[in-house]
Amino acid sequence: MKAAAAAGLFAVQRCRVCGHVQYPPRACCAACLADDPAWEAAAVRPGTVLARTVLHHSHEEMFRARLPLALALVRLAEGPVVLCFAPDRPAIGNAVQVRAALDATGHAVLEAR
Amino acid sequence: MSRGYDDIVAAVPVTVPYVRRSEHGADWFLARALAALVAQSGLRKLVIDGLCASSFTLGPDTAVALTQHVGLSPRYLEWLPMGGACGVVALRRAARAVQAGDADVVACIAGDTANDGSFRDLLAGFSSFSRAAVYPYGAGGANASFALITDAYMHRYGATRQDFGRLCVAQRDNARRNPLALLRGALTLEQYLAARPIAEPLHLFDCVMPCAGADGFLVMQRGRAEALGLRHVRLLGAIERHHAFPDDPVQLRGGWAMDREALWAQAGLAPGDMDVVQTYDDYPVIALMQLEDLGFCAKGEAVAFARAHDFTVDGDLPMNTGGGQLSMGQAGAAGGYLGLVEALRQLTGTAEGRQVAGARHALVSGFGMINYDRGLCSAACVLGQ
Repeated sequence: MKAAAAAGLFAVQRCRVCGHVQYPPRACCAACLADDPAWEAAAVRPGTVLARTVLHHSHEEMFRARLPLALALVRLAEGPVVLCFAPDRPAIGNAVQVRAALDATGHAVLEAR
Repeated sequence: MSRGYDDIVAAVPVTVPYVRRSEHGADWFLARALAALVAQSGLRKLVIDGLCASSFTLGPDTAVALTQHVGLSPRYLEWLPMGGACGVVALRRAARAVQAGDADVVACIAGDTANDGSFRDLLAGFSSFSRAAVYPYGAGGANASFALITDAYMHRYGATRQDFGRLCVAQRDNARRNPLALLRGALTLEQYLAARPIAEPLHLFDCVMPCAGADGFLVMQRGRAEALGLRHVRLLGAIERHHAFPDDPVQLRGGWAMDREALWAQAGLAPGDMDVVQTYDDYPVIALMQLEDLGFCAKGEAVAFARAHDFTVDGDLPMNTGGGQLSMGQAGAAGGYLGLVEALRQLTGTAEGRQVAGARHALVSGFGMINYDRGLCSAACVLGQ
């Protein structure tokens, strides 16, 4: 997922046996337990906002300068639920596009627009 | 239906007083809880042949190492890393062990320390999913996770900040009568509403305060408790469920909804029979959700239910009578014991200053471990005199 994010792609896992799509990444398919789920990368993945928050407090120094930080829980059209940054502060039910990128620490993070 | 618990009882609720911060380790708090169980039961330490323990900050140790720390040689040992569900689950497991003869006396303890680094470290490494897919999003911890659940619940069922505020204010009223509560200052609805935002829609008084402390109790046969002259409470029913309703896109119900009929059938009682209710309340939304999922009201009607009932000690449905975690503080895993220990006090008539008159039956529920986007562990029990 990190390698994909470095290339500007959002990778999720798809089961080679039953086609189940999952996130966060797991060691097996959570639906049928098949081994070695495949990675499937896309530039954007559409989804719908389930819930939102705006953080005014963080446990990490690196985020404090960026507060307040808007987040959303988004259900991807393919099924999985992802937590992502949501700087446009969408409403519940809004359609959004989710992209991946690397953050300042080199971690893959998602953003909904 | 799961078989009943016969004459298994819980006794000797103990609390190692909560403090905001401590230089002691979790081992110290757990040891003080065990010492209190021994002192208040009059049992010799080595009569305790079963141990259930929970802690977030005992690492790298577990219940195994703890036996050597405190000099116990149990023939039954449980390590229950289930956060807010660990108290009810400990009682449930211990009761079965005693019922089966695998142990005679089980000490159930949970405790944690708190210092400047411990809470951040706990959050940063909470779970592999959290590390990969939650913490990098602003490191908001449980506040952020419950903010999302609260936002979805408010949107779906029309709950307002006032609704959550009334719950917090009622619990603070209860805490003011409890010398063990860390937060005992008066709290008005106006103060609640004016508090600073933490993770919207959550504001300061919606968020549990981390602290250090421990709680515990003993589980044994009723005959033994009577012989020892210990006030005791019977376990009438208990459920647990993990990772319930995985297809729900956002958590608007917990595992209680899968098992509540089994709980009430096993207990032979109904929600209306409860004199005291202890819901898990690190954030107010989850306390309301438990009232729905355990059958006190229909789904989505907890707000109307809360408006129609008075949750204070003197009210018509005393809930979180010690102040709950929201006013007592959350001493890590001990947060999963707090409601149970309070219910034991209420049913043994030892809830000094906040005793619910004539309390005979209690419901206690627990909720724990937001692994990714939802709490995975839920548990509940019905207790009776």
